[in-house]
Amino acid sequence: MSTHVDPDLLCAYAAGEIDAAHAFSVEAHVVRCPTCQAAVAPLADPARLDRVLAAVEDELDAPRVGAIERVLRGLGVRADLARLLAATPSLSLSWLSSVALALSFSVLAAHHGDGGMLLFLCLAALLPMAGVAVSFARALDPTFEIAVAAPFSSVRLLLLRATAALATTIAMAGLAAVALPGIGWSAVAWAVPSLALTLASLALATYVAPLTAFAIVTAAWLATVLVNATASDDVLAIFGRPAQLVLVALGAGAALVLARRIDRLDVRGDL
Amino acid sequence: MTVAVQAGDLHKRLGSTQALAGVSLTLGDGITGLLGPNGAGKTTLLRILATVLAPDRGTLRLLGAQPAERSERALIRARLGYMPQEPGFHQRFTAFEFVDYVAILKEIGDRRRRHDEVRRVLDLVGLGDDAQRRIKALSGGMRRRVALAQALLGDPRLLILDEPTAGLDPEQRLRFRELISRLAEDRCVVISTHQSDDVSALCHHVIVLDRGASVFAGAPRELCDVARGRVWLADDRSAGARLSWLTGDGRHRHLGNGPPAGAQLVEPTLEDGYLLLLAPPARAAA
Repeated sequence: MSTHVDPDLLCAYAAGEIDAAHAFSVEAHVVRCPTCQAAVAPLADPARLDRVLAAVEDELDAPRVGAIERVLRGLGVRADLARLLAATPSLSLSWLSSVALALSFSVLAAHHGDGGMLLFLCLAALLPMAGVAVSFARALDPTFEIAVAAPFSSVRLLLLRATAALATTIAMAGLAAVALPGIGWSAVAWAVPSLALTLASLALATYVAPLTAFAIVTAAWLATVLVNATASDDVLAIFGRPAQLVLVALGAGAALVLARRIDRLDVRGDL
Repeated sequence: MTVAVQAGDLHKRLGSTQALAGVSLTLGDGITGLLGPNGAGKTTLLRILATVLAPDRGTLRLLGAQPAERSERALIRARLGYMPQEPGFHQRFTAFEFVDYVAILKEIGDRRRRHDEVRRVLDLVGLGDDAQRRIKALSGGMRRRVALAQALLGDPRLLILDEPTAGLDPEQRLRFRELISRLAEDRCVVISTHQSDDVSALCHHVIVLDRGASVFAGAPRELCDVARGRVWLADDRSAGARLSWLTGDGRHRHLGNGPPAGAQLVEPTLEDGYLLLLAPPARAAA
């Protein structure tokens, strides 16, 4: 039996036409045998070698994939979109853990009476809007200028990030609500206000900077809640059904404004 | 000449500042240098040309399309490269990851094609070997080159560079000039700079902005000509000069309207022209 690789096998190896098991054993020999190296060199197709080398190079250069990005890909998000989404400030672990912490405290408070419940509902209604505002705030996006000038539509990027921020915050608030005392209407009473406030802040963000819009809507919301809590016998009346209808109308109005003015957000170097 | 940028009477107010107050310009292929003091409106103008800002008033066509129209804006952006004055970075990204991130925003093909393009632009700016280094570990000059690399993605037809040579050492500046002059053969490049020697070495066209208005537009030679016959050397201070300074060889260099009879006139530089253009009206005799 010869100590070198059979020429036919070597030929097939060079052309990439043998299975992995045979290729491995040929390789194991060739890397240590100058004679077989000399024999295989002229057989290999340079174009194929270039392709292989390029593929290896590409693997080495390939960007690292972070935890958030892996989760997004696991959920079926396209790899390039996952990369853009993973850079969203309100999807960072620090933001998500702050939200979790705030919700936990307010749930604890909710176990100590209506005042605590009001705190939880108020916070659960505000947090989704905060997540959205943070997701496209210029001050928090180092690549803001470059991103606005890039072909990937700023509106599309903003809506993608806002949706991701909204989905995670609403999911977290929903989870927190399960731990509320006596699950009932109050467990979901924050949902409509949170959507209405988010839409209002997005509509306002076509006029002023996202964080300014967030601050204005937050101030208006807190003022309404406080005035209502002091004026009414029921401190939770603002989350009652009549108030929810008003908020639905407000949200719808904001959505109309947003739809009409959304292109303003595609050239938003001054917002 | 193919017209890449056509702007008429651009106005832009930012906060309480009138950043641009009626700028008109027409630019073709080649390199245009934008000079002007801080706050003159250079960055605002470049941001408008990069479709980051919309003008309050005025007409604008970029690469034959209207940036005010959403569908046309997308066409412009696909052929536009922009390096902002202070590009931000996700610090934990490597140079490769950062440029790849921008390449996704620029919608450059599938993963494989995109990575090839990222390698190409990093090689162009001489960062091929530093691609895997974290941005936060790079020097200031290298970061400028990473920012330049992302602007070159997709071989843009219109290249907007806001102070691209700031923070570069002389050798890096030379490399930048080589690269940009080669690229400008078949595209429109607009740069802003505080370095008048960048303009004289590189630019085919100069625009000088002052307080939101264009006060000069022409060839670099014409900007030198502004100072022709108005620059002279003397052994002492001259009362008639608008600007003067003591040079290293012990003589006074004067810029002004009235060189005294028999003064030793010297060949003006582009900087002389620029300084005279922006110098306050004749100072009272000291």
